[in-house]
Amino acid sequence: MARKQKEAIEVEGKVTESLPNASFRVELANSHEVLAYVSGKLKLNFIRVLPGDRVLVELSPYDLTRGRITYRFR
Amino acid sequence: MPRDGITIKSPGEIKLMREAGQIVAKAKAAVENAVQPGTETRELDELAEREIRGLGAIPSFKGYRAMAAVPFPATICTSINEELVHGIPGNRKLKDGDIISIDVGAIYEGLHGDSAFTLGVGDIDPEAERLIAATRESLNRGISKVRAGARIGDISAAVQTFAEKQGYAVVTQYVGHGIGFEMHEEPQVPNYGEAGRGPLIRKGMALAIEPMLNVGTKDTKQMDDGWTVVTADGSLCAHFEHTIVITERGAEVTTRLNGD
Repeated sequence: MARKQKEAIEVEGKVTESLPNASFRVELANSHEVLAYVSGKLKLNFIRVLPGDRVLVELSPYDLTRGRITYRFR
Repeated sequence: MPRDGITIKSPGEIKLMREAGQIVAKAKAAVENAVQPGTETRELDELAEREIRGLGAIPSFKGYRAMAAVPFPATICTSINEELVHGIPGNRKLKDGDIISIDVGAIYEGLHGDSAFTLGVGDIDPEAERLIAATRESLNRGISKVRAGARIGDISAAVQTFAEKQGYAVVTQYVGHGIGFEMHEEPQVPNYGEAGRGPLIRKGMALAIEPMLNVGTKDTKQMDDGWTVVTADGSLCAHFEHTIVITERGAEVTTRLNGD
């Protein structure tokens, strides 16, 4: 029986702490904390992310503790 | 369990996988012989179930919940024409000119076998004939890349390049998978990808490789029954699958009758 391809899961969270190399600790809506890096598209468009921002994080189905920040909400 | 979640089977467990594979192969053969215009898909299902249980195994699809709301209700998947995979057997009668994909899975002493084939019913169009042959061959190309030391991406790339060279679209939403103690284990085995990438293939691993090729676009749609998947554009599609174990002797297909 074929298996459905696992895709990234998108979750919202609030940035808690800033770390070197455009990495941040983000606390998710479900109270999990993940290590997330800023996506290249945000960097390319000079969109800054700071602690306290509400962001969208893409999580890999293979490691739910690491993610990619793909959107910063107003 | 290793960090990447891939289970390794002991020689004893590999032996059981071979048995499970042979049972699946026999069930496939029985169903293949019963495919005629006028046969109901339900009959094929019942035949497969009798065969599997008669050989001392349990159907692995029946009751299977794959993150779906509804457990799969049958022993085999019967997918006709534009149905890609996971068709549910029922009252539908096969017609001359149809092509049907049959997927069979069984558990023997706790180890799994999973295999599928696509077959024409009566006389079919040369187009359909060509699709089926190409899909079967794309699986063989993928299997030829399986050896300890290779990567999953080698299989994926082999399937993709052959399929696309033949002019077919490779389905990306459904993938092959590791197999063994569960039907679906790590790693995912996509039918598209780059050679040299992906998890390392090691001795003791078992993979279910299952290329799905469409005549039209690669997009698929899920039907309301919660299981049946069809091509989004209604075009014909085919599916072949084998379970392969990796041993010191290299890759062995467990779901071909009489082994390798």
